[in-house]
Amino acid sequence: MTPRLSMRALSVVALTLFASAPLAMLVVTSIARGWFYPSVVPSSVDGGAWAELFRDASHRTALLNSVVLAVSTALVGTALALPLGRAAALSTRGVRRSVALLAFTAVALPPVALGAGLQLSVLTLGLGGTVVGVFLAHLVPALGYLTLVFLGVFTRWDLRLEEAAATLGAGGLERWRHLMLPLLRRPITEALALGFLVSWAQVALTLLVGGGAVRTLPLDVLAMLQAGQDQRAAAGALALAIPALFVLGVSRVAAGNTPAVVA
Amino acid sequence: MSAALRVQDLDVLFGNDERPSHREMKALILPRTFDEPRGYRVGLADVTFSVNGGDCLAVLGASGDGKSSLLRTLAGLQVLRRGQVVVNGRDVTALPPEKRGVVYLHQEPVLFPHLAVHENVAFPLTLRGVPKRDAVRRGLEWLERLQVSDVSGNMPDALSGGQRHRVALARALCAEPAVLLLDEPLASLDPAVRRDVRAALLEARAASGAAMVLVTHDLDDALAVATHMSLIDWMTLTTPREPAALIQAPPSLEAARLVGIFSEITGEVVQENGGRCFHWIGGTLPAGELDAGPAVACVRSHEVTVERSEEIHPSTLLITDRRDAAHDVVLTLCDTAGGTVTVSTSGNTRLGVGDGVVVAIAHARVFADRGRPRV
Repeated sequence: MTPRLSMRALSVVALTLFASAPLAMLVVTSIARGWFYPSVVPSSVDGGAWAELFRDASHRTALLNSVVLAVSTALVGTALALPLGRAAALSTRGVRRSVALLAFTAVALPPVALGAGLQLSVLTLGLGGTVVGVFLAHLVPALGYLTLVFLGVFTRWDLRLEEAAATLGAGGLERWRHLMLPLLRRPITEALALGFLVSWAQVALTLLVGGGAVRTLPLDVLAMLQAGQDQRAAAGALALAIPALFVLGVSRVAAGNTPAVVA
Repeated sequence: MSAALRVQDLDVLFGNDERPSHREMKALILPRTFDEPRGYRVGLADVTFSVNGGDCLAVLGASGDGKSSLLRTLAGLQVLRRGQVVVNGRDVTALPPEKRGVVYLHQEPVLFPHLAVHENVAFPLTLRGVPKRDAVRRGLEWLERLQVSDVSGNMPDALSGGQRHRVALARALCAEPAVLLLDEPLASLDPAVRRDVRAALLEARAASGAAMVLVTHDLDDALAVATHMSLIDWMTLTTPREPAALIQAPPSLEAARLVGIFSEITGEVVQENGGRCFHWIGGTLPAGELDAGPAVACVRSHEVTVERSEEIHPSTLLITDRRDAAHDVVLTLCDTAGGTVTVSTSGNTRLGVGDGVVVAIAHARVFADRGRPRV
């Protein structure tokens, strides 16, 4: 093995350890019983924390809320961001820049600042402390991210493909069905995954807009940590991480070998 | 025979948006006509012509003269302000591109990257509900006719430039269009591939029966494929004529320059003995009814005879430069007063720099020199 190759292998191993160590610690902590310093390994293991997590009805409600919020944020966010990004990308430079600035603002604002503003807006609408209110709050940063994604995609989109399809007889819906959806499969699946993850990991917006009345899994994990319930918190954190990793994996597979769509 | 394509009083607009796709998208999603073309200006005015099925009209124009805009307007891909487009007797002016029966081929062939070649070619038929197996079979027939059936299973990114052109052409023909619009299909091809694609275009013209409009800036391309030819001259389209007739007698100096096969001899038209003559440093030519003033005579190389002159006449010229072109010799000549002229001749090729010569011109087209139009 050449020195260059061995450095590369070492780097890959180090990165893998760096990325997987927190997950490994969570796995061990979630099943460890009686694991105190300076013991290197736990004295015994059991699945009690996992059982408690799923037995507790409030945790199940939090999990359901998280899933509902993440899925609806992904679907609605993608459905809105795709036409918005396309319209902005194919519009004049001024419109394009304005939309990009707005989208970037939604992404770049600190969650607490954004949450404070959204809290006031959602309270005005009478939706404070409701799942719908929290969904609207999650939608704001998600829409920012996803609009930037589609703005980038459509800025490089080859419009001649649509023109060719149109003069060959494809109407608007047929162009979407036969041309755009197949070619946009990768960005759409990646946008769905991104929208899901933005909502799935939200804490500040959920707390500020939900006002504690809307419980989600991240909020429950935070509460467990504050209460010193390390084993349950680790199980909850894994329950948070596993769907996120699953969604990422599914999006990669679903994207498949979509050809490049840009000119 | 009624024309497959009839265009009447069409104003072709040039957009000046920051991004071309802006106006293109407008054309895809908005009505095709509008009264106040904000942000647009008329590039070609009062375009009127017709093309019969099986014929090909070549539109010759310089870069930026609106050739592509004309085709895009006919295809419904660009908004228009005024005029009428009729395809097989049906007014399609306000119809979207997919309902016109007009297929537009971009300069660079645009194949759908997620479909194999046979699926690309079958695409227009599957849109019409033709079962996939039948659509592919008919597509393969066109691929065979254009000699690219051997790549039918390939993806577009595995094709060469010439193959891509042929596949795009096969797909267009598979759509059985009434009108086929070709936007400089040969412009970016090397000579060998260009010959192949020209042959494919001729085959397409003969086999499809579609009316074809080919825009190009290359006379050879136009002559190879077209049955008629028009020129974009001073923001208007000249009346289509047979290519040979148009070359023999171009309607204007700009048209002659576009044809690109003439030597230009500058001089002046003067009134003499009740008639008008064109005087240049090598002699005099008839000027017809042309008004007196600066003028240019356009001559083809085979119409120019250059003979060595042993004696000095008023019309004797001196060769100051000689360049050999593929078929002609290009001579720069000057007279005793220092006036110069450059002519091509396909005749006497033994002349050299320093020789005194006289020039005989069998036929010339003399035009008033108006300068370039302001667009």
